[in-house]
Amino acid sequence: MGFGNKKIYGHGIMNPRKYLRVYTKFLHTSLASELEYKTNILIDLITSILSLIGSIFLLSIFFQNNKSIGGWEFEQALIIQGIYTILNGITNTWFNPNLTEIVKHIREGTLDFVLLKPIDSQFYISLKKITPSGFLEILLGFCLLLYCIKINQITINFSFLTLFLITIICSICILYSLWFFISTTTIWFVKTWNATEVLRSFLYIGRFPLNSFTFSLQIFFSVFIPIAFITTIPSEVFLGLSQFWKIMLEVFVTIVFLFSSRKFWLFALKFYSSASS
Amino acid sequence: MSKNIIDVKNLSKSFYISSKEPGLKGTIKHFFRRKSTSLKVIKNVSFEIKEGEIVGFLGANGAGKTTILKMLCGLIYPSEGSILVSGYLPFKRKENFLKKITLIMGQKQQLIWDLPPIESLYLNASIYDIDKFEAKRRIKKLSEMLEISDELFIPVRKLSLGQRMKSELMAALIHEPNILFLDEPTLGLDINAQRNLRKFLEKYNKETNATICLTSHYMKDITSLCKRVICVQNGSISYDGKLDQLLKKLSPVKEILVVCRSEEDAKRLETSGFSIKNKAKNEITIQIKNDSITSSLRTIINNFDIEDLYVNEPPIDEIIGKVLIKNDYDF
Amino acid sequence: MISNLFKSKIFTLLKVQYSNMMEYRVEIALWAISGIIPFFMLNIWTNNNLNESLNISDVMLSRYFLCAFFVRQFSVVWVVFSFEEDSILGKVSPYLIQPLNPFLRYFAQHIAEQITRFPFALIIAFFFFIFNPESLWIPNIGTLFLSIIATFFSFLIQFLIQSIIACLCFWTEKASSVERLLFIPTLFLSGLLAPVVSFPEYVKSWIYLTPFPYLIDFPANLLSGNATNINGGLSMQILWIILLFPIFKKVWALGTRKYTAMGS
Repeated sequence: MGFGNKKIYGHGIMNPRKYLRVYTKFLHTSLASELEYKTNILIDLITSILSLIGSIFLLSIFFQNNKSIGGWEFEQALIIQGIYTILNGITNTWFNPNLTEIVKHIREGTLDFVLLKPIDSQFYISLKKITPSGFLEILLGFCLLLYCIKINQITINFSFLTLFLITIICSICILYSLWFFISTTTIWFVKTWNATEVLRSFLYIGRFPLNSFTFSLQIFFSVFIPIAFITTIPSEVFLGLSQFWKIMLEVFVTIVFLFSSRKFWLFALKFYSSASS
Repeated sequence: MSKNIIDVKNLSKSFYISSKEPGLKGTIKHFFRRKSTSLKVIKNVSFEIKEGEIVGFLGANGAGKTTILKMLCGLIYPSEGSILVSGYLPFKRKENFLKKITLIMGQKQQLIWDLPPIESLYLNASIYDIDKFEAKRRIKKLSEMLEISDELFIPVRKLSLGQRMKSELMAALIHEPNILFLDEPTLGLDINAQRNLRKFLEKYNKETNATICLTSHYMKDITSLCKRVICVQNGSISYDGKLDQLLKKLSPVKEILVVCRSEEDAKRLETSGFSIKNKAKNEITIQIKNDSITSSLRTIINNFDIEDLYVNEPPIDEIIGKVLIKNDYDF
Repeated sequence: MISNLFKSKIFTLLKVQYSNMMEYRVEIALWAISGIIPFFMLNIWTNNNLNESLNISDVMLSRYFLCAFFVRQFSVVWVVFSFEEDSILGKVSPYLIQPLNPFLRYFAQHIAEQITRFPFALIIAFFFFIFNPESLWIPNIGTLFLSIIATFFSFLIQFLIQSIIACLCFWTEKASSVERLLFIPTLFLSGLLAPVVSFPEYVKSWIYLTPFPYLIDFPANLLSGNATNINGGLSMQILWIILLFPIFKKVWALGTRKYTAMGS
């Protein structure tokens, strides 16, 4: 993700094998901690199933007397739903628990320990934790997508798969950057919970085709909060509707987001080490 | 003599503190025009620490001990001056530098709460590029030194504070750092656990020749571990040297409790020119300068009918307390 | 006498909590902003003319969603999260030895937060009317009064449900996941995202037996002047409160007994 670039502040060149090894340890420890609360996982699993049912229910209300919304038919809108579910699952598995962790680090003053580890702090802070119950959501999203492939009679070929993969990876990176931006602001304002609630409520819009909103909102959701890039473009690729320039634009936006979130983190660290006490 | 491992020259640190008036008006004002004042918390500090030394930093709350310690390990960027720790500029936090140091903060923990400490140890081992076998060997060695074994397999949240501190130490020392920074390591521990920690640090220092810098409010930590102390007052160093010399400087007198056989003798003693601190019936407490103690004692024993006699060292805690409380103490 | 004492206690509690909440203005403002989902939904509805088949005009629908926003703003409950944090930080024990049910403290917290939230909600409504001037209306005093009561009842129902869940903290460490589970039907069935009239028949046949439509749909319809059964709605709300209160009492009693028996 953001740590692909070679020159990393204070750490020289990264050693990918070491990072892989550390990441498997992260996986191991956080899965083990989560398993301490087994009923919790079960409840979370039910929550994610109900959540998907609820979203499809809402979508069916929209379509009960209309054939299409913003040019999307029900079967096509389901694709957006599927992609949203996958991304939401990723958010719940990786981004959200790590944000909780950062807030804790800063409130309890243990960020110092992280900074003194001979490992990239952004890597450590954004991948330390994992919540396995989000996996089910990812799985459900993929199942829904497979179903969509069937009902929309999409032919799978190599170029479709690569384009889809590129766009979905870009979406994940943009989403990651948004979350990491908010995480970074904890260095100044310890309580970022409410900011994440605002982000969550905006991201909620990603469940629906962007064209179903009025033009001004469409602009808002492409420029300020790039929800258009997050769910709509991958869905368009899925249907074979997307133009090439849109995909290139998404790749460009992704690079900008990743780069600036990295810079912002380094800036925040500089602030932290010159102002904290 | 061994070489300097820490070299600090003319180090200063200023913080910008923005002040805000209360209320909504203040908030708005604050938003547009920040009034910030620069506060110099560390003023022109220089010192050197040799390899293998144990140095205690003394000072009142807010004197700047923790700030100095954090600058030494690279968490705070210095405003002026230079720091060289083991040949590195700490604030760059180079990987090789980080592998040489460790920071232990009392009551702040890095262990994973829901898991047994052993998991955190292996995680740290992989972060510090230590392979499994080496990690196993080190864990075995450290757990022998710390006298901890089964506790490593119990979730941290179920451990007592003392056991948690031991596991914390293991996590902090698994990469065998040769410079240890300890910020109030004994905070909240009971007497036994405090003593164990001190014993361990002493042993660790002897066995590995590691340099140890520590701050503490428990005088016992300082007096039993550190031969050298650095006193920090209002951001500058007011004393840097041997601990026993500091004690001599601070308490030039000893107190002697004399129990006389008769009240008459007591009255005679009272009027014979000694500085009397306290008198109760036939028990008299006298203060005598350190350099004249033997001659004075001889006079007392020869001239008075003495039942009993106690020489009291003034408690070290009290003396050093003076350093902490009195900001304008004259050295 | 006793009721007087009680009242003054509540009043002091409210005052303290209000000044406490004023410290969190920014957070509360952000909370208020995070509640604007109904407006996005409205945008989908009107932009695609989905409301034509429901026989609701654009204006009435926009009033409905504005009211849904308001009702939601003043019935948000977070007692589970507060209680969970307090029990992890070990604050529950000191609360238990005070002669005041800790949930009254949380109750006062919520009311104080709503008062702090009020101006922010008004600002958002103001912007809403700038963009949709045609939907501006002034409800008459009677309906305004009734809908405030209905909103308060909605808040009470949610507060009781969440308090019951919060009491689960006595048994498990993380009760908030149960709340997240229950939030899903609340989100989709309460009328926050789509008015209950638009639901398909097979849902409408049983939904009015659950508490969900009385949380947002009923007060919002009442306030916006859309057709609704006032007597039926209010009595169902009261019924749910009467039903939930003894359950809460029972769970609380069981929970505290377990807590004191554990001695932690």
